Parts: sequence; structure tokens; C-alpha cells
Amino acid sequence: MPRAVKGVLIECDPSIKAIILKIDKDSGHGYIVEDLDDETLVVKEPKLAELKLRLEKILEKTQMLEKDEESDPENPG
Amino acid sequence: MPPKRKAGAAGGTAAVATTSAATKRSRPATPAVDVDSSDEYSGDEEIENTEEGRAISKAVNAFSLDLVPKGNDVIAKRDSVSYIFNKQDFSYLKMKLDHESRPLWINPESGVIVLESFSPLAGQAQDFLTTIAEPLSRPTYLHEYKLTPHSLYAAVSVGLDPNDIISVMDRLSKIPVPPKIIDFIKKCTSSYGKVKLVLKENRYFVESSDPAMLQRLLQDPVIGPLRVQGEGGSGITKEKAPQMGALVIPGTRNAAGAANVNNPKGGRPVEVAGDAAEDLFNSDAVHSFEIPADDVETVQKQCLDLGYPVLEEYDFRNDRKNANLDMDLKPQAQIRSYQEKSLSKMFGNGRAKSGIIVLPCGAGKTLVGITAACTIKKSVVVLATSSMSVVQWRQEFIKWTNINPDAIAIFTSENKEKFRGDAGIIVSTYSMVTNSRNRSHDSQKMMDFLQSREWGLLILDEVHVVPAQIFRKVVHSIATHSKLGLTATLLREDDKITDLNFLIGPKLYEANWMELAEQGHIAKVQCAEVWCPMTPEFYSEYLREQDARKKVLHYIMNPRKFQATQFLIDYHEKRGDKIIVFSDNVYALKAYALKLNKAFIYGDTPQQERLRILENFQLNDQVNTIFLSKIGDTSLDLPEATCLIQISSHYGSRRQEAQRLGRILRAKRRNDEGFNAFFYSLVSKDTAEMYYSSKRQAFLVDQGYAFKVITHLQGIEQLPSLAYATVAERKELLAEVMLQNSEAGQQEGDDFDGAKLSYNAGRKGTRYRRTTGKLSELAGGDDMAYIEYNRSRNKDLKGKGQSSAFFKKMHRENEKRRKEQNALKQ
Repeated sequence: MPRAVKGVLIECDPSIKAIILKIDKDSGHGYIVEDLDDETLVVKEPKLAELKLRLEKILEKTQMLEKDEESDPENPG
Repeated sequence: MPPKRKAGAAGGTAAVATTSAATKRSRPATPAVDVDSSDEYSGDEEIENTEEGRAISKAVNAFSLDLVPKGNDVIAKRDSVSYIFNKQDFSYLKMKLDHESRPLWINPESGVIVLESFSPLAGQAQDFLTTIAEPLSRPTYLHEYKLTPHSLYAAVSVGLDPNDIISVMDRLSKIPVPPKIIDFIKKCTSSYGKVKLVLKENRYFVESSDPAMLQRLLQDPVIGPLRVQGEGGSGITKEKAPQMGALVIPGTRNAAGAANVNNPKGGRPVEVAGDAAEDLFNSDAVHSFEIPADDVETVQKQCLDLGYPVLEEYDFRNDRKNANLDMDLKPQAQIRSYQEKSLSKMFGNGRAKSGIIVLPCGAGKTLVGITAACTIKKSVVVLATSSMSVVQWRQEFIKWTNINPDAIAIFTSENKEKFRGDAGIIVSTYSMVTNSRNRSHDSQKMMDFLQSREWGLLILDEVHVVPAQIFRKVVHSIATHSKLGLTATLLREDDKITDLNFLIGPKLYEANWMELAEQGHIAKVQCAEVWCPMTPEFYSEYLREQDARKKVLHYIMNPRKFQATQFLIDYHEKRGDKIIVFSDNVYALKAYALKLNKAFIYGDTPQQERLRILENFQLNDQVNTIFLSKIGDTSLDLPEATCLIQISSHYGSRRQEAQRLGRILRAKRRNDEGFNAFFYSLVSKDTAEMYYSSKRQAFLVDQGYAFKVITHLQGIEQLPSLAYATVAERKELLAEVMLQNSEAGQQEGDDFDGAKLSYNAGRKGTRYRRTTGKLSELAGGDDMAYIEYNRSRNKDLKGKGQSSAFFKKMHRENEKRRKEQNALKQ
């Protein structure tokens, strides 16, 4: 018996898609309906807002990730 | 953002935009209207606090912490955009009536001076400002300078008088010079540079033009008893101040004139460019007292504590004890105007001052050092960073001067010799001089020689690379009369350079990069930041990876970056450019170079192989690209290079960026019509690299360079044989990257003198793979041909055309025999 799931088509950069895939995997595949290609995928509509929020959180982190590490970037001798 | 007074509607909106953007980034919850927590202001406060914490200088703090003399009327004038400027609102400052024709604006609180570089007076003002303040940022239209105690100290050291500084400033400023700035200048100049330490006939004298100052020092419980009693009762001697008159810096136009009248020591005084400096030089008499040589250190320290740092000067013309070195610039050596300017600051009053000269890479720092040595004409020690640059220094000395080659000795791990005669030059590396452990007998003898005698000049090349601790060691172990530091980038991410002000001397001169590029002394460079998107496979691994060092590896080995490198190399090789590719990461360096079949040099490459590769790069038109690790950052002179690609770098190091750019600034073809050198920085999108990249560029942007962002390279997909074009290949690469341990993500250590040379075939061990097949395949029975993949290009460069006739003949005979045997078999 055919089953229908309402989804939203998302187009994004490959790297963003990688993050979405990661979120999906970490949360036990609760977001993605279909992985179409490098830049497009379909996600469940009710989960869209939640996904956006988590995506933004991760994006913030990736840019500033190693900030504390370079406190002494020059070779101290 | 410089606080501009004339912030109209347009400026206002722009500012709003940036502020809100900045706020959003750091604290999304804070609304942009919150006046008290505007990002700009809190940033400033942070800087002040850290400076305070470090306690770099009491004077700085005293200056920046003073209360602002703001009245109530200031607050009354608040308008709709006031909240953006907050404490930076200086609309209460009265402009002079003819302010439009005056190029300067002075921030009464921070001491920052903004210069309109489009003003007709800008040239004059710039000369003046480089003398008294430190350049912060010099883009096209508005330049920023900052008054600091050190810069004022340097100004005094070239003979400027505080009252003249203030009056010139007042003439150029749009607003009357704020009283606080006047106080600051007076305070700094009264304490700095008033006391000089002079070596005369090998006796140390404390000298000052102000006798009251000397009396104050003599009453000090530490310094007083150290005075050596002279013939007179007072111990303070008075004499005429030296004038520049008789000294001519060789290689300048005046030197040529002087030679014509057949009087090498005559001629007009060298004009200190930037008329201000010359006009204002007028001290009449000096007073001095003698101190014993052993206590120089104590006196220097005590003076520093008292707030009167001691200036060191060397009266080399009256030094009769140390033998003269017969050396002059060759007649064809003409030094350039900015080199002359920097040297005239060093020899401002006929004596050699110690200090640091900052010139961009490729602008002839070596020649400045050599000219200084020729002016002093005494024994010289030159310290460089690597054995490669030691050799270059020696060659430059021989090239530019008429010095006897026997008089220049090299002191490195491979080469230990002394010069003959009483005076000479020794070129060595920092690590040779400072390394106290594991010294061989020969080098110990050499060190004893270095320490046993007195030197006229110590030239310290690339002063920024070595931490202050090493300098302290060098400066203490070698007795020199004067010290000259040379560098292109007087900045470190860890503020260890503040000590250099005292260990070597103040910054004497800093050149304007853009100006030199305009005049054709250094190449014009197009800078670009290429954004390479991460492939999904790499990015998900990047996100998953916890080890920071391995993360680094993921964004460096990004296949898209690989493709961009390949594309850029291909594009520029077709244009006839010579390309250097920089990678800090050795694993990536090797992987890239092997895949793209290019020669590469890194720390473990043997000296012989290095030289051969570099020679091929310079002369062989088949070798247009080389890959260099960190060791190529400094002191590598390759005028052929015209294009630079950076694939991995040292976090947010501004200096590395500038040093690398310096590799192409000296491009030979720079004066061709419409010539541009290219600098590409490859950055993996959405990774930490983006953040570092923006940090790294800060210095070059301050020098006036603009970075273009390239998000897509046109035609990259059409490139034939594009690496990692298929998903399968990329997955394979990813698997390989993941197999690397975190060591591979690290950068190689510093390579000061190439001491750690071990032979390495330059090829990674091949990986084993399990395949099914017949045994006869392995024996070549199934018509299998042997091809070596990923063969190091280094090896190809080795043998070319070097075999002798004998070996060729043997080879031919072998070939013939093999063919015969094959024929027999069939």
C-alpha cells in the first residue's frame, strides 16, 4: 500500500547538505525523506523549522571552532 | 572603523549595518539599539584592558586612562546617530576655518592620527608622520597613524624637538592639537632619548644635552657610585655636539658629488628627507660622564626604571682602537631614495644609532645592511635565519662592495672559518650563535673568537622570527657598538617584539608598500582569496572529526582545493608565469606535489637537492612550478617567481602572509608594462580556515592591498585531466586522509639552519592492495607494463644530461644485449 509523506525540497551547497545529513544521522534519521543529489534533498515538512535552528547552531560553531587553539600561533622558540 | 567627523547620512547607515551585523554574530540576543553595548566600543575597551594587563609601558597606560575632558555641552549635542559613535563621538571638537586644506585629524583620546592621503599636503604630512608616529593602516584614501611612546622615542632619536613636533602638527591638523596630545608628546619626549650611551675609544659614556638630567642620574643611588672620575672634579665633561656635516653615506647622490671634488669625507650634509627632521635638528652642546664597561647593563636597567631609556650610539669615525675594514660600495651600486632615507635616520648625527629598519620584502633590505656596514667600516657580524640566507648574504656583500672575499667568513654547521686580517665580516645564523649545547670543538673555538673581540656593527636579519629571549642572548654574548635590525613585518601574534625596542633599538624607518610599488621598486600584486567549497564527503568527515589537527588535514586536502590548485597552476603556466605553491602542512605538500607531478622542497629535503631544484626553477623552462613548505617563507630570493598559491598556512599568522607575499614582490619582470604578480590564497569554505584567512590578511590590507574574493574559477570543469573529478576518486582520497594519524596535520618545525638534513627519497611508501589475479600477471606474463605513479619530480631533475660518455656507452651496450636476448627467446 503506497504511503505519502509531505516533504520540502531543499537546495543548498554541498557543504550545507553535509551538515544536514549529519543532523539527520545524529537524530536517528528523523528529517530526510529522500537524498536526491549533491545539492538537493527532500525533508519532512513539519521538521523544517527545527532543522533550520540546528543548522544555524552548527554553522556558528564551524566558523569559530579552533579559536581558542591559536592563542599562541607563532612559534615560541 | 576610523571615527570620522563628517559622517553624513550615508556614512551613518553603513555604520549601522556593520554594527548590527557584528552584534548579530557575537550576541544574537542583543538588539542593535542598545547604546551601551555597541560592539565597536566594547572592542576598544578590551584592547585597553589587555594592554594594561601586559603593562607594556607605564606611559601608554597613563595616557589611555586619563579622564576625558568632556563637558555637559557634549551630551546636549547628541543626535540621531550619536549612539553609534558612543564615546568615539568627537563632534565637540572645533574645526579650524580652513580645515579642508589641512590633511590631519587627531583623535584626542587614543592618539590616532587620520591622514587624508588625497590632500595635496599628504606627501609632506606623511614624511612627518612616519617620523613621529607608527603607521597603523595605509589603504588608498585614509591613512591611520598612532602616536606611541616608542614612536616618539624614535622621533627624538633622530633629533626632533617636541615643540617642533607640536607646531608642525598644529599646522597640518584640521583641529587645534588637543591639550592632552600636547601633554603626551611633552611627557614622552622629555623622558625618552635624553640620555645616550656612547662608546668612545672603547670607553662608555652617559651623555645628555641636558646637564640637569645627568645630575639627576648621578644622584641616583645605583648609578651615582658607578661613575668613573675624570680629570675634572665634577666628572661631567662638556663638548660640542657632533654634526652630520662630514659624514657621507656611500651610494647616495651626495657621495657621488663628494667623489667628484676629490674629497671623500667632505660634501654637503646628507639631507634628511622630510624637511621637518632636518630643520629641527639643533642641539648645541652635550655633557657626559664615564661609566665602566662592566656596568653598562646595570646603568641601562636603572635608567629604564627611572623612565629615561638610554639611547645607544656609536661614534665610529672617532673609534681608532678597532681596525678599519677596507670596504666601499661599488660605483654602480646606487641606493634608492627610501633606502637613503632609512639610512639617514640611522646615521642622523654622524654616529650610528641602533635600531630597526622595516622595508617590504624584496625592497633591498640586504643592500641597506651592506651600506650601513660600508658606512661604519668596522668589523661586522651578520646573523641570518638559515644557512641558505647566510650564503646569500655573503654573495651580496661580494656583489655590491669591493671587499676582499677572504675578509668575509661564514659560520654555519657546515662551514667554520675565520677571516684573515684585523677586521672582517662574519655571517652566521641565530641558532649557531645561541645554541649552547652540543657545540663541536670547531664551533666553540669560533664562538670564543666572536666573543673575544669587539664588533662595529651587528646586523640582525629578519628580526621578527626570533623571540626576544634569543636576542637577549645574542646581544649579551657579542660585544657590538651598534645594532641594526632588518625586517619586513615587525609584528608577531604574541607581542614578543615589544622587547626589541630595548634590545635592539627603536624602529628607525618603515616604508610604505604601496608607494614603493607605485615607484616600481617592488612588484604590483593582485591578491585573491579563492573560496573552494568542501565536497560533501569531506565536509561530513570534517564535522565528525574530533581531533583538531586532523580537521586541519580535511580542509587542506579538500579535493576542490586540489582542483583549484591544479587549475591555477595550469592557467598561469600557460601565461608563462613561474609559480610557487606554499603549504605549511608537509603531508599535503607531498600529496599535492606528487599528484600534480611537480618538484617540492621541505625541511627534510637535502641541501644538494634543494639547490638543484631551485636552480632548475630559475633556469629551466620545463620547471615552472615548485612546492615549498614553511622553509621557503623567508629569505628565499627567487626573482623569477611571479605567481604564488597558498594552500595551507599557519593559522592566523599575519606575518607569514606578508612574508609569503614578499616572495613575489621582487619579481624581475615587475617593470614590464602592465605587469602584475598574483597571490592566491586558497580557502575551504565553511571551515575554520575562513576565519583564519580573514585574520591573516589584516596586515596586508593595512598596507593597502585589496583582496578579491573568487567564488568560482571560470572553466575549471573543462580542464582536461582534472584531479579527483569523480566521486570514487574523492572517496579514495578521503580514505587515505583518514588513515593519516594526527601528526600529519601538524606543521613542520622551524628550520633555522637546515641542520637536520637526512636523506629521503622524497616518495611516500606505497600502500598494499589486495587484488585477485593470476601469478603470471605479476611476472609480466599478461603483457603488464611497469609504470611508476606518483613519482617524485625531484628525481627527474637529478640526472638530466649529467651522465658521461662512458656511462652512455655502457647503457647503449646493455640495451643492445637485451634486445639480442629478447630476439633469441622468440
